[in-house]
This record gives sequence, structure tokens and C-alpha cells, in this order.
Amino acid sequence: MDAIESLIPDDSGATPSLEPIAMVALDAGRMLMEAGASANGIDEIVAKFARGLGAERVDLRIGYASLAITIGIGPNGITRMREVGHLGVNQRLDQELWHLAERVSRKEFSTEQTRAELARLATKTPRHSAWVMAVAVGLACAAFGRLLKVDWPGTGPVFIAACLGQLVRREMLTRHVNVFICATMVSFLSSLLGGLGARWMGSTTVTTAMIASILLLVPGVPSVNAQSDILEGHPTLGSARAVTVVVILIFVAAGLWLGQVLLANWH
Amino acid sequence: MTLAFLLHQTVCGAIAAAGFGVLFNIGFRSLPWCAVSGALALAVRTYCLDGLGWNLEAASFGAALIVGAAVQVLRARTDISQNALDVVGCIPMVPGSFAAKAILGMFALTSTNTLDASETLITAVQFTLRVTFTVGAIGTGLAIPTLLLRVRVTR
Repeated sequence: MDAIESLIPDDSGATPSLEPIAMVALDAGRMLMEAGASANGIDEIVAKFARGLGAERVDLRIGYASLAITIGIGPNGITRMREVGHLGVNQRLDQELWHLAERVSRKEFSTEQTRAELARLATKTPRHSAWVMAVAVGLACAAFGRLLKVDWPGTGPVFIAACLGQLVRREMLTRHVNVFICATMVSFLSSLLGGLGARWMGSTTVTTAMIASILLLVPGVPSVNAQSDILEGHPTLGSARAVTVVVILIFVAAGLWLGQVLLANWH
Repeated sequence: MTLAFLLHQTVCGAIAAAGFGVLFNIGFRSLPWCAVSGALALAVRTYCLDGLGWNLEAASFGAALIVGAAVQVLRARTDISQNALDVVGCIPMVPGSFAAKAILGMFALTSTNTLDASETLITAVQFTLRVTFTVGAIGTGLAIPTLLLRVRVTR
């Protein structure tokens, strides 16, 4: 057999079809990325899925908005790409995906079963209710406020402003409002409410209370992921994440600035 | 540094980390681990800042390093996947207020009636540098134990 002949794909049906394996592995990687994982985690999980479903060679390229995979079995190989959606944080989905990856890597699932399981996880993974999340975020921002030396009269308003900000943010994201616009609007609302409340309660740390009220918007996970991606050999993705973090911070600061201007002129 | 202050910072770190754990959709069963992670981060940072006299960047690096190492050791017990626990623990140390002050300082510079432009510029640059170095210190502190202790996947 000459060199050209050895490159012709084997369609005898003896090996598993590459297309479904590639797409299922990409789907798992996409879901993990949208759940807030760093590049190394995505790389690892895609390899687990692809190898568990029968691939012998796996190469992945991770971009900010897309994933591309090349998998191979014997002399056959294909390359496929998948778009990635909004990058949020969902640790329960992340955890479920890792559990599934372990089972797939032990070859407990076929490709179709894995696809069905991924679809189930995407729709059935539970989320905390909007009210639980709002109260938790309010408490977190109030604790942040105390760490930033907000006095006790200013802490209550920070809690309420952050609760309301989180409720509004969730509602806006459900309606697919642009994340940057959403950041500015929530920042404006929360900082204004926090500042007004702190002033009304007689706090001496009104400006810090306004800042504490918007700390729910600080993109902590993306900023840590950006750096770990660069350190772990994914500078392109890391740089893209870092730019997004900076732009979000600018939009958040714009909302805070508007809130401060309005509060300064509020009599 | 008094014990009451250390306790206050530790409890606030725990509440902030657990609150953000809920925002990140971590299950209720795992939330106490988030609180422990945040409490450890703030306790170490406060001790380094006020007990040892380190600056914020060095203290944040030390705290992130210890949280990262502790999470690597405890990972098998917690059942929280990958880097969620150490990131959640370090979220209360992310200097969001410095970032806001830095950008507001930049906004103030563009105003036509800035009273003391050079002082405003220096303050804004100082905040920007502190944010950059502190976030860098946290990321590096978290990455070192992960890179040293993780078993790499065979490709």
C-alpha cells in the first residue's frame, strides 16, 4: 500500500463513526466552558469524553467563542468546530459533567447515551431560586462591605441594594439583555440604592457602601481563570478573558459614577 | 491586631465566600466548604497584613497559596470539582473596590474642572497597579499548588 492509499479513510464500519464522537465531546467541552471552567479543565474533559467513546487521538483548540477538535481512530480523522455561548458560572453543572466524564471514560455509555445524558444535564441540573440567590448575594456584599470598613448603619442598605441588584440582574439576563449594558444598569441601581440607604441611616461611609453594593458584579471567576489560562499555556484565551474582565469593570464603574453623580445632586 | 478583629474578618470572609458559592450554583451540601475556604483566606490575609506587616499584594499571595494547597489536599473529601473551591475562597480577596476607585479616578481626570489633576492621576494609577498586582498575586498563589500537585492527563 503506498503513502496516498494509507491516507484514504476506512469506511468499512468496523470502527465507530467519528462525527458523533467529535460532536458529543465538543458539546461536553462547550457546556463545561459555559459553566465557568478554565482551559485545562475543558481540555481534560473533552479528552475523557472522546477517548471514552472510542477516539484514539484527541487534539483540541480552545477559543473564547468556539472550540475546535480533531479526533482520530486508526488512519481516519476529522476536525469539527462548535460555537460557545455566554460564559457564566454554574458549579453544579460543572460537577455533574465531571461525574459523567468519569463514567464515560470507564466506557459505561455509548455515544447516543452520552448525548442524551448531556441533554438531560443541560435542562435538569438544579439552580438555586432567584430569592435564595438574591439573599445570598446581599449577605456576601454586606460581608464585603464590612471587610472594606463600611460602618454598621451602612451595612443594612448594602444588603438590600445588592439583593435588589441581583434580582434585576437575573431578570435582565433571562431577557437576554447585553451583559455589559446589564452591568451598567445594575451598578447604577445598586450603588444609588446603597448610597441613599446609607445616607438615610446616618452612615459615615456612604461612598464605600455604594462600592460594596456593586461588588456582586465584579467578575472574580473570569479574572482568576484569565490568569490561570495564561499560566497553563493558553495565552490567547487568557488574554480574551482579561479584556472582557476589564471592559465589564469599565461598564460597572460607569454605572457607579452615574449613581454618585445623581446622589451628589439628591437633596 | 486583636483576636476580635481577626474573628470579624474571618467570619466576613466565610459569609462572602458562601454567598458567592450560592451565586455560582454550588449545592447547599458543599457550601460549608466554601465558607471554610473563604474564612481561611481572610484569616491568613489578615494575619499577614496586620500580624506580620506585609503589604496587601504579598498577603493576598500568601493567603491564595495556602488556600490553593489546602484545597488540593482536601479535594477528595469535598466532592467539588476542579478549581471551584479555591476560586470561591479567594473571591473575597479580589480588590473590586480598588478597581472601581481606579476607573472612577480615570473618569475624574477627563472632567474639565479637575482640581488637582496630577494627584488624581497618581491615585488612579496607584489603585490600578494595586488591582493588577493583587489579582496577579491571587492567581499565581492559586496556580502554584494546582500546577505542582495536579496529575496531568495523558493525551
